[in-house]
Order: sequence, then structure tokens, then C-alpha cells
Amino acid sequence: MIELGSYIKLQRTKQEMTQGELAHGIVSLSYLSKIENLKTEASPEIIQALCTRLGIQIDNSLESTIQEKCKEWYGMLFEVNDKEEITSKFKEIQSLMDSNLTESLLLFEIHKIRYYLILGEFDKALNKINELNEISGTFDNLHLYYWYKFRGNYNSVTAEYNPAMHMYRLAEDKLNRIELEGQEIADTEYAISVTHSKLRNTLEAIDYAKKALDTFMKHYNFVRCAQCHNILGISYRRIKMYDKAIKNFNLALHLGKLNNNKQLIQLTNQNLGHLYSTKGEAKEAIKYFQEVINDEEVHLVERVAAVASLVREYYNVYNFEETKKAIKYGFELLDQFKNIQQYKIFDYVLHTYDYLLREEHTKFENLVIKEFIPFLEKNKDFANVIIYADLLAKHFEKQYKYKDATKYYKVANFAYEQITNI
Amino acid sequence: MKRFIAGLSLGALLVTGFAFAQQNDPVDLSMDREPSVLSIKQPTVFF
Repeated sequence: MIELGSYIKLQRTKQEMTQGELAHGIVSLSYLSKIENLKTEASPEIIQALCTRLGIQIDNSLESTIQEKCKEWYGMLFEVNDKEEITSKFKEIQSLMDSNLTESLLLFEIHKIRYYLILGEFDKALNKINELNEISGTFDNLHLYYWYKFRGNYNSVTAEYNPAMHMYRLAEDKLNRIELEGQEIADTEYAISVTHSKLRNTLEAIDYAKKALDTFMKHYNFVRCAQCHNILGISYRRIKMYDKAIKNFNLALHLGKLNNNKQLIQLTNQNLGHLYSTKGEAKEAIKYFQEVINDEEVHLVERVAAVASLVREYYNVYNFEETKKAIKYGFELLDQFKNIQQYKIFDYVLHTYDYLLREEHTKFENLVIKEFIPFLEKNKDFANVIIYADLLAKHFEKQYKYKDATKYYKVANFAYEQITNI
Repeated sequence: MKRFIAGLSLGALLVTGFAFAQQNDPVDLSMDREPSVLSIKQPTVFF
């Protein structure tokens, strides 16, 4: 049974009505407060009067229709769908919710967090979290499961991986108290595996990706399988099991092609490029990065990331002509971003190598010391701190500035310790 | 002079230590691209 108090509070705040406005002539303000906070159960007459003022029907003849529509919409939030389709279905359900008292309301409100995240409206997702937080004490186990999971999703997309993992763990703890479909559980396992991968908990990432993959395979969900294979590929590369990594990336490529999913194909190519880069096979690495760059259907950000990798690769094999060309192309792509701040890292990478090649030592040192390394440290991107502190230290060594070189080898060493948790 | 030599030695020690660590441990020096935790069909042409 729906908690009527929570429902009334939600509808009142949505309509931007004060407690006084709603209570006026029906109940006292303090009594309404008690109803909303589930401290008392109001009579059916009072509920009827409050709902009438809110413009809501208590008639539940549409309950099964609403439930069906919600189920369909929830499914859309987990599968690959057009944003327009999801939004149109959302609006349809919202108008039903606005005029009917339904048991589906709380779950619908919780799913809005995921909905806003998919649309990229992170502020709205956070507002929804804050709004629901006030009534989260009334959630049952099913509500709590999604509440924790979507808060984890919010932390994932805002790159706060430790809080994300905490939320996913809480959601996982609820799994044995509720009944859910296999693919829903697999989706949570997949989110946990991605988060472990971000936190560089390699063995755990493998464990959860395998669990999720097993379920997705049974449901022939090729896109999700390919995503799991990518996590496995990254993880096996990190523990230097290159053959297994390549096998997983190739499976991801195959499944991406079956589904004609360009984003997934090029994501895998980028990861394959990195694999060959870490193996020291520059020619192969360059081949994969070029594939990403040349695909105009793929997101601009992925192409810029590939250019940044390509710049590093060419520079490391002393092919300075190609490095210059790649830098120039990278700047051209960066110019197309409306909001450069979001992709600042690529701007730093391109400028770093640009100054190095032009032998503009002061500019190079100022950029890396005063801006780039602090930026990476702030974002806890220790892998890149190692790369650029090492690059800077080598530069100082060449200039016979051993004291400065030592300082930045130390910075690199510290970042290395952060990664390996020494 | 003594300080210079000491500084140089420390530098050399750190360089060696760091290089050794790099050779013997699986340090991850690349930018991996994990897939998103969310799924959504993206527009075919981005810009």
C-alpha cells in the first residue's frame, strides 16, 4: 500500500504549494505535517479533501495501466533507446501520475534520478536525490534498492567512485530481500564491475564483469556483453594477461559490429590501442588510434582522446613530424567543443607536447608544473600524473637541472604508490 | 659541492628506484576507456 503522507508531500512540493495553502480549511498545519511525515493516519474524508485540493483522483481504476506503462519505461532506462522515445513515455506517465493516486509513484520518482542521468541533466538528478532524501525513511526494500543504485549511478557519472561503490554495495545488500529479473541484477553487477575497474580493483572488476556477462549472454544482450568484454579486456591488460585481454576486446568488437554500435566499436579500438601501447608495439597502437580518429560517426570526445593517445605514441617513437600533425589535428577537433573546460585534459596534453616540440621550455615547464599536474592531482588521475611528472623530470635531466628532476621523479613515485596502494 | 653530490646521488637513487618499479610491477600508464554505467543510443552524427 502506498504511503499516503509521502505521496501528498511529493505532490504538494511538486505543485509548489505551502503546507498552509493545502491545509487551509481542511486540517491544521501541524496535523498536515504529521500526515506527511507518516506520524498519523488521516481519515479517508481528510485524504479525499486534500487530494481534491491537489487535483488528484483517488479512483484507482487506472492502477494496472500505470503499472504497465511504468514497467515499460523502467525497461527503457536500462536498454539502448532514443532519448526522445524515453522522454515521450516519461511525459505520458507523468501526466497520469499528476492526476491519479497510484502505488507506483515512489518508484517512478526514484527512477527519475536515472532518467535525468541518461539525459545528462546531472543537476536535476541531484535535486531529485535531495528531494527524495526527505522521505527516504518511508522506503521499502524495493525502493531502497533503486534508491541506492541510482545514487551510485549519480556518483559514477560525476566520477566519485568510492561513494559510488558504497551505494552499489548497499543496493547489492538489498538483492536477497527482493525479487528482481536476472538482467536487472546483472546491470547492478555490471555497474559494480565498472566501478571496481575505475578504482583499479582489477580482480574484483573481473569477478563482477563475469557474473554480469553470464546473465547478459543468456539473454542475448549483445551490447551489454560487449561492455562486459571491454571491462574484462582492460582488467586482463592491467595484470598483463595480454592474450586474454585481446580475446575479450575482439569479442567486444565482434558484438559491436553485430549490433552496428559505432561507439562501442571505437571504444574497444581505443582500448586495443592502449593495450598495444603498453606492450610497446607502437605500430599496432597507432593503427587502432587512427581507426577511432577516422570514424566521423563516433563522439568528438572519443576522437580527441584517441588523438591525445596518438600524440604520445608518435612522440615516444621519436616521430616528431607525425606528432606535430596529430597535435594540429587535435587542436582543430578541440575547437569544435562548446565547453572546453569539460575536456581540459586533452587541451593540456596537446599543449604539453606542442611546447616540447617547439622547445619552448619555460612555457612547457609553467604549464605542466602550475596547471597540468595540479589538475591531474585534483582529479586523482594518478596514472597521468606519473606520465607527465616523468616527462617533466626527464626534461629537467636533459637541462642538467637535477634538483628539479629529482623533485618530479618523487612526484611520479608518489603517484605510483597511490595506484599500487603501497 | 658536498650538497651537490648528495643531491645528485639522491636523484640517481630515485631514478633507479622508479625505473626498477616500472619494470617489475604492472603499472598502468594509459588512459583506459571504461564503458558507461548507463546505456543510451547516441545520435549518429555528433556534430
